[in-house]
Amino acid sequence: MLHLRFILRQIAGSRNQAIIFVFCVALSLLILTALGGFSGSVRRSMLQDARQLHGADITIHSHYPFSEPLLKAIHDYEQQGIVQGALVNEFYSMARNPQSEKSILSDLKVVAKGYPFYGKVRLLSGREFSKVLSKGSIIVDQVLLDRLQAHIGNTLQIGSTLLTIVDVVTLEPDRPVSFFSFGPRIFIAAEDLERLDLIKKGSRIQFKYLLKVHDPALVDRLGEEFSAMTVPPQENVKTFKNADSRIKRFFENFLFFLSLIGMFTLVLAGIGIQTSLYAMLRESDYTIAIMKSVGATNRFITLHFMAMVMVLGTCGTLLGLILSSLLQLYFPTLFASILPANVTLTISWNVVFEGLVLGTIVVALFSFLPLLRIKNFKPAFIFRKEIEKSGGGILHYSAISIIILFFIGLVIWQLEDVKIGLYFILGLCTLIGLTALITEGLMLFMKKNTARSLVLRQSFRGLFRPGNATRAIIITLSASLAVIFSIYLIDHNLRATFIEAYPANLPNAYFLDIQPEQKTEFSTILGREAEFYPIVRARLASINNKPINRTQEREKRGDNMAREFNLTYRDFLLKDEQMLEGENLFGNRINALYSRGEVPVSVLDTVAENGDIKVGDLLIFKVLGLPLTARVTSIRTRTESKVRPFFYFVFQEKSLKDAPQTIFSSVRIDGEQLAIIQNTLAARLPNISVIDIGSTVEILAGMMHKMSSIIQFFTSFSIIAGLLIIISSIFATRMTRIREAVYFKILGAQSSFVVKVFTYENLIIALSSALLANLISHIGSWLVCRQLFNITYQPLLGSTAIMTAGVIVLVITVGLGASVSILRQKPIAYLRNERQD
Amino acid sequence: MSPNALEAIQLSKSYNVDSRQITVLDRVSLTVPIGSFVVIEGKSGSGKSTLLSLLSGLDKPDSGKIRLCGTDITDLSEDELAPFRNRTIGYVFQSFHLVPSLTAFENIAFPAELNRDPQAAVKAKELLHRVDLSKRMNNFPHQLSGGEKQRIAICRALINSPQIIFADEPTGNLDSANGEIIMQLLLELRQELMTTLVLATHSREISSKADAIARLVDGRIATSSEKVNL
Repeated sequence: MLHLRFILRQIAGSRNQAIIFVFCVALSLLILTALGGFSGSVRRSMLQDARQLHGADITIHSHYPFSEPLLKAIHDYEQQGIVQGALVNEFYSMARNPQSEKSILSDLKVVAKGYPFYGKVRLLSGREFSKVLSKGSIIVDQVLLDRLQAHIGNTLQIGSTLLTIVDVVTLEPDRPVSFFSFGPRIFIAAEDLERLDLIKKGSRIQFKYLLKVHDPALVDRLGEEFSAMTVPPQENVKTFKNADSRIKRFFENFLFFLSLIGMFTLVLAGIGIQTSLYAMLRESDYTIAIMKSVGATNRFITLHFMAMVMVLGTCGTLLGLILSSLLQLYFPTLFASILPANVTLTISWNVVFEGLVLGTIVVALFSFLPLLRIKNFKPAFIFRKEIEKSGGGILHYSAISIIILFFIGLVIWQLEDVKIGLYFILGLCTLIGLTALITEGLMLFMKKNTARSLVLRQSFRGLFRPGNATRAIIITLSASLAVIFSIYLIDHNLRATFIEAYPANLPNAYFLDIQPEQKTEFSTILGREAEFYPIVRARLASINNKPINRTQEREKRGDNMAREFNLTYRDFLLKDEQMLEGENLFGNRINALYSRGEVPVSVLDTVAENGDIKVGDLLIFKVLGLPLTARVTSIRTRTESKVRPFFYFVFQEKSLKDAPQTIFSSVRIDGEQLAIIQNTLAARLPNISVIDIGSTVEILAGMMHKMSSIIQFFTSFSIIAGLLIIISSIFATRMTRIREAVYFKILGAQSSFVVKVFTYENLIIALSSALLANLISHIGSWLVCRQLFNITYQPLLGSTAIMTAGVIVLVITVGLGASVSILRQKPIAYLRNERQD
Repeated sequence: MSPNALEAIQLSKSYNVDSRQITVLDRVSLTVPIGSFVVIEGKSGSGKSTLLSLLSGLDKPDSGKIRLCGTDITDLSEDELAPFRNRTIGYVFQSFHLVPSLTAFENIAFPAELNRDPQAAVKAKELLHRVDLSKRMNNFPHQLSGGEKQRIAICRALINSPQIIFADEPTGNLDSANGEIIMQLLLELRQELMTTLVLATHSREISSKADAIARLVDGRIATSSEKVNL
C-alpha cells in the first residue's frame, strides 16, 4: 500500500531538487517532441507526398533531347491511354524588361499542357494555372517583378521573343523551396519554346518528361520498362516511389543533423535527471535510514521512491509537452525563409506518444541507478552519517549496460542508419571521452593545487566536495559549448573567407552557355579581357571498367560520381592549381595512349579521393551517349579554396574539340558595369546566362547563417541541461555547502569570504568548461576549415573572449543564484539543527 | 581595562515553536574574570548551549547586553562579529565541526590564514606536534578518530591565541578515556596560553576542575560559585 502523503511530503521536503528533476524530464520531452514534431511536419508536408513533390508518377530526366526509342515507347503508351505525358524544360536564362532596361538571370520552366499532374501551382490571382498560362504569356515570381521593376501586363524579353506577364506564382508543388535557385521562376508555355531560340548546342537544359500512369499498379513496371530503353547514363527514369530530390536530400541531411543534436541533449538531460534524483535521495538519507531501522523493507521504500519519481516524471512530461507546444509557435519565425510555404508545423499525436514512451524510458533508465542506491543504503547512517560507497554489483553494471544499449539503439533508430549511428556514437564517445580526459587532468591539477590565496585554495577544495558533480558539469558544459562554438567558428570563417573578404582580384561574374561562335561578340560587349573555359557535359560511366553504381552514389551525403560533370580542355595549370601526382598534365606517353584509343585526363584531387581514382586508372565517360575512354595521367590540387572556377577533369584540346560544347567565362566587374553588361547581353546574346557571384554567395551565406542559427538554437538546449546539472549539483551539496559556510563564519570569515569562495568555485568551473570548449572547438574548426574547406582559419579571438566571458557570467550567475539560501544561512541555525540531530 | 573577559547583563532568549513562545534564557547575568576557567553546568535542555552561543556572539539575545574582552558585541552585525571572533574567540564543539574538505593541518591553519598571519603554517605545525598528531597532518577529518578530531579542533581554537575559548560539551562525543585526555589537553593549553575558558557541560567531573561554576536550571542561573558573579 502506497502512502501518498509520505510521497508528497518527500517531494515537498526536497522541492528544489524536485523542480530540477521535473525540468530535466521536461527538457528531454521538449527536445524529443519539438524535434520530432518539426521533422514530422517537414516530412509530412514535403517528403511524404512524393507524388506531389514529383509532380507525376514517372519522371524521365535528361540534359539532352530524349532518345528516339524512348520517345516512341512513351507515345505508344499515350496513344493506348495508359499514360499521359507532359514535357517540361528547365534552364537558366536572362529576362530583360525593355521598359526599365533591367535584366536578371531567371529560372525558366517551360511546361506543356497537363503539368502538374499532381498538386497545384498556386497563383496570386487564385485562377487555374492551366487556364492562365498560354502561348505568348508568362507567369513569374514576385521577386522578378520587384527586381525588374515590372508589373502584370508588362512584356519581358526572354531569348529572342517578348512575352507578357499574366500572373504571379506563389507555390509550386514540385519545388517547395526556392533557395536552391540562382534566379526567380518564370513559367513559359511549351508552345513558346521554339520562339525563345535558347536551346543551343551544349546548353545546360534539363529535359523532363512527366508521366501520369492511369493505373497505379503499373507505375513500377512501366518505370522499369522505360529504364531499359534509356541511354545510360544521360537518361534517368524515376518513379515517385524511388525519387530522391535535392530538396529531399537537403532536408533529410538537415533533419539528420538536428537529430544528432537532439540525441546529444537527451543524454545530457538524462545526466541531469540522474544528478537531481541522487540529490533528492541524499536529502532523504536520514528518512530512509530511520525507515530501514524500524523495519521497512527495501521493496517498500523503493516502491515509494519509485512512485515519487513517477509523480515528478508525469509533471515533467506535462511541462515538456506544454513547453513544446509553445516552442512550436516560435518555429515559423525560427525557420522562416528555409521552410517550404506549404509546411504547417504541428505536433502529431504520434510524435507525442513517441516522446512519452521515449521520455518514460529515459526517466526510468536514468532513475534506476539512484534508486538502486536505496537498496545498498545502511540504517547505520543514523549513527554514523557517512555513506558507504555505492556502486558495483551485477544490477549496477547491468543498468549501465542497458543505458548504453538503449542509447545505441535509440541513435540508430532516430538516425535510420546503422553505420552513421555507430559513427555518431563513436564521435560522441570521442567528444565526451576527450573532454573527460582533459577534465580529469584539470581536476588532478586542481586537486594538487596549493594556491597562496586562501579563498582560491578553498574554492579548489570545494570542487572535490562529496556529491559535487564537478566532472559531470565540466564535461557537459564543455562538450555542448564546443559544439555550439564550432558551428559559430566555421560559419564565421566561411563568411569571412567568401563574403566579407571577397578578394578584389577574383571574378565576381560568371557567364554560362556562350556558344563558340558568340565568343567574339561576347568579348566586344564585355570590353575587357576574360578567361574562357570550354565545357563539355558528360557523365562518368565506369572506373577501371567497374560501372558507377548510380543508386549507391546518389545516396551519398556529399558529392557523388553519378552526377553530370563539366569536362574542359587546356594544356596549362590554372593560377590556383598545382600538380600533386604526375610530372605534367598529360604525361609523357600521350601517343601510346592515343594508339590504344585512350585519351589522357588530369583529375582534381577532391574528385579523385571521392571516386578512389589514381594515376593510371581507366575512366570511361559518356558524352551524349558516346563513350570517351580516358587514362588518368595526373592528379591536380587547388592551392586556395576561393570562389574561382575549377574543373574536375581536364583533357587535351584534341580529345574534346569535336564534342558539343559551350564556353564558360568569368570576369571581375564592378556592380554598375555588370548591370549594363547583363542588359546588353540579354538584348543581343540572350542565350548567355550571367551569374552575379557576389550576390549569389551572399544569399548562400545568409542561408548558411540561418541554418547555423537553427542548429545553435537546438544545441542551446544542451546548455540548459548543463546549467540544470550545475543547479542540481549545488542543491545536492547544499548541506555540505551550508556546513562549510557556517564553519567559515564561526571561524571568523565574513560573508564576502564565503561569497568569494563560491564565486571562485563557479569561476573555475566556467573557465575550465570555456577553455576546454574553446580548445576542442578551435581544433575541430581548424581541421574543418583547413582540411575540408581548405580555407584560411581565423581564430576569432574577440568572439572567443566574448564566449568565455558569457560562459563565466552565466555559470556564476546560475551558481550564486542557487546558493543564495546557503549564503544567507546563520551559523547558529545550523548549529542548533546539528544539536537537535 | 576591564579585569573581566566577559560580562553578560540580563540576557533573555526565547524561541517561537508552533506559535508557542518558549523562554530558553531568562534574565541571565554573568561576569567571567580574565584567565579563569568557568563551567556552565546544567541538565539537557537547561539552556547551556544557548547561553554559550549568545556569549560567544554566535546568536543575538532578545534583550540584555554582552561585553566580550572589552567590546560590546550585542549589536554588532554578522560581518562585524566575524573578524572579532577570529581574533578574540576560540571554539571547541561537541561535534568537532571540522571542515570536511580540509586536511587536519589546513583545518588548524585556517583561522590564522583568515587573519593573514604569515606564521600560520608554522603555528599549525607546532600545535599539531604539541597534540602529538604531526603524522596525521595530511589526513582529512573522515580519516581521523573522534579523539583526534577533537584534538585538531582544540588546536584550531588556539591558533590565533584567543583571549577566550568557548567549549560546548567538548567530551560529549568521546569515550571516557578520550574525554579525559581531551580535557587534560584543553586545560594544559589554556594554562600555557593564559586564556579564559568558558565550558558548557553536564559532567560533574569536569565541573570539579573549574575555577567557578554557573548552574543553569530552566533558563536561569540557580547557583554559582564565588568567582562567577550573578
